[in-house]
Amino acid sequence: MAGHDHTDPPSDIALRVKALESLLLEKGLVEAETLDAIVELYEHNIGPKNGAQVVARAWIDPEYKARLLADPTSAIAELGFSGVQGEDMVVVENTPEVHNLLVCTLCSCYPWPVLGLPPVWYKAAPYRARAVSEPRSVLEEFGVDIGDDVEVRVWDSTAEVRYMVLPERPDGTEDLSEEELAALVTRDSMIGTARAGQE
Amino acid sequence: MPALPADMVVPVFMGGASARIDADVAAKFKAGDGVIARNINPAGHTRLPRYLRGKRGTIHKVHGVFGLPDTMAHGGGETPQNVYSVRFTARELWGADASARDSLYVDMWDDYLDPA
Repeated sequence: MAGHDHTDPPSDIALRVKALESLLLEKGLVEAETLDAIVELYEHNIGPKNGAQVVARAWIDPEYKARLLADPTSAIAELGFSGVQGEDMVVVENTPEVHNLLVCTLCSCYPWPVLGLPPVWYKAAPYRARAVSEPRSVLEEFGVDIGDDVEVRVWDSTAEVRYMVLPERPDGTEDLSEEELAALVTRDSMIGTARAGQE
Repeated sequence: MPALPADMVVPVFMGGASARIDADVAAKFKAGDGVIARNINPAGHTRLPRYLRGKRGTIHKVHGVFGLPDTMAHGGGETPQNVYSVRFTARELWGADASARDSLYVDMWDDYLDPA
């Protein structure tokens, strides 16, 4: 209403998080500075820009790509990325013949050091159910056109191994620098719900 | 357990801790072996998704030895055993309407599998 000055109450989830946080702080189970440091780390330092650097390096350096596919955890660590939820990595390569798609049907397992924290839709029941049962429809809804002659491989990460997709290098990018290539690599292209460079 | 101090956030989160167990446990299966996911329905925790129970797959790769969540989640110890990447065809899981080309890869512990 015009001129009526008020603030909407926070969402249910925000209130729940606040309640949980204040309880944990009161009981001395966590420290406020520690929470701030974790949020800072995952808001500013750890996210899909890390994975994009890995992909761009693999595109321009065949020897690095070979290491990335053979020993992903070490190859990713070469670029300085490692840690929680990325201790045992597997990298799956998209090719003209094979398209890979990642999901965690049981919860929200996701390779944090290279992709950061998962998007809401990745954790939502519809994606988790449909990515395994009708991956081609899901991909179509994400705008990824998969030909009948292409094999779709869905990876359900149910254990301690974490996956990352190495997307195909887009056509016409031969003259781009490593940095320009990394800018084409989106979070979704490393989950498999997009192609690199997809608008 | 003392709360994690703020200055330990970067070393702990960037360091991580692999869940691999350094134990000499023989793998029951090797790449290429046919397997059937057990039709188990435990009341407690399991990482064996319901949509795979009773389905036939093929061992794609041996990941190595890890603890079994089904026992660890309930204070029953690590029960170290091999974990495999197992491939199931889309048709085995979803029937004749699924693409004959497509497949699903999932990580499974030894205790979830019988030989096919």
